[in-house]
Amino acid sequence: MKERTFYILMSVIVALGVAATAALAIYTAYEYQNCSIITYIATELW
Amino acid sequence: MKKSAAIAIMILTAFIFLSLNFSIYMLFTRRVVDEMTVEERKNAISLEDYLPFADGTRAVTVKSSLRFSESDRLPVLDGASALYPVYASVAASVYPEGSVIFEDGAFSDGSAVQFRNTLRAYRAVADGDADIIFCAAPSAEQLGYAASVGAELELVPIGREGFVFIVNEDNPVNGLTTEQLRGIYTGKYKNWRELGGADRMIDPKTRLAGSGSQTVMEHFMNGEQMMTGRMFGFLGASVGYSFRFYVEAVPREHSVKMLAVDGVYPSAENIKNGTYPLVTEFYAVCRDDNDDENVRRLLDWLLSDEGQELIEAVGYARIK
Repeated sequence: MKERTFYILMSVIVALGVAATAALAIYTAYEYQNCSIITYIATELW
Repeated sequence: MKKSAAIAIMILTAFIFLSLNFSIYMLFTRRVVDEMTVEERKNAISLEDYLPFADGTRAVTVKSSLRFSESDRLPVLDGASALYPVYASVAASVYPEGSVIFEDGAFSDGSAVQFRNTLRAYRAVADGDADIIFCAAPSAEQLGYAASVGAELELVPIGREGFVFIVNEDNPVNGLTTEQLRGIYTGKYKNWRELGGADRMIDPKTRLAGSGSQTVMEHFMNGEQMMTGRMFGFLGASVGYSFRFYVEAVPREHSVKMLAVDGVYPSAENIKNGTYPLVTEFYAVCRDDNDDENVRRLLDWLLSDEGQELIEAVGYARIK
């Protein structure tokens, strides 16, 4: 694989990964502002 | 670069991002998203479930000797989420049909029932936008706001409710003492193992300042400073607080368990007979200079046998 092609593909993967992570973090923070304390406690992992 | 090595690096990178997002989802996102809409979660209750006069409403009606007519000046009712079922039931029992206007998920301006929640209801009654609000005792800030607009609030105790501590159903701890509960919120106890539970960090959750449950909690702490969150607390096991009715009577997909306090479980019976130690009064609150005849008639009715029967029928303990 050409180095240039590799860097382009890697840039796309990293950009998509960062965008998805940021979107999930923002969505989670937004939901946390309005979340029910009961749901929060009821769904914790045990 | 070899093609196979390049593909392996790309797959590994994608896998790292997928793992990161999966972890965020499992640890955070999953816990803050539930079946209720954002509006319902803000309100903490579905307004439509208890909408007075609606088909299939859960609002309770009792036989009432007080019945307002459409020509009466109707006191505007408002209040806390946990007490919305009470004042919705008051309207269903005493107010004329058509006095409650609910459109697009909210009460209209001319409706005799409003919903602002504790935080804004105290402001509304002080400003004269609501005649009677149904709430737990006011915070110092709420009393301060009333004083700043020249209002003195009259608090009429109309019922009693249990203040409860909640944990996940799988948490092996079933009860704590008041000293242990205060110790959790001062930071004295950091791990559930210290309280006979699992070896997990304690994640004490607090509520919004000015909310009914937060004000009661501040009284419960008796002047001791409450800690506000713990680093990486989300990895531990939470404890929170609320009112019994809100925990038990509002249907949800997920549930929690209430803790016994000083060996007494917060059942409706134990709250009613006074053996549960954390029982708090809730109030019908108006401006003390509100001399509207119907406001006074309604306050008297709430303390009558009929009014107290309604309090009990909704699921709270009567004051008289």
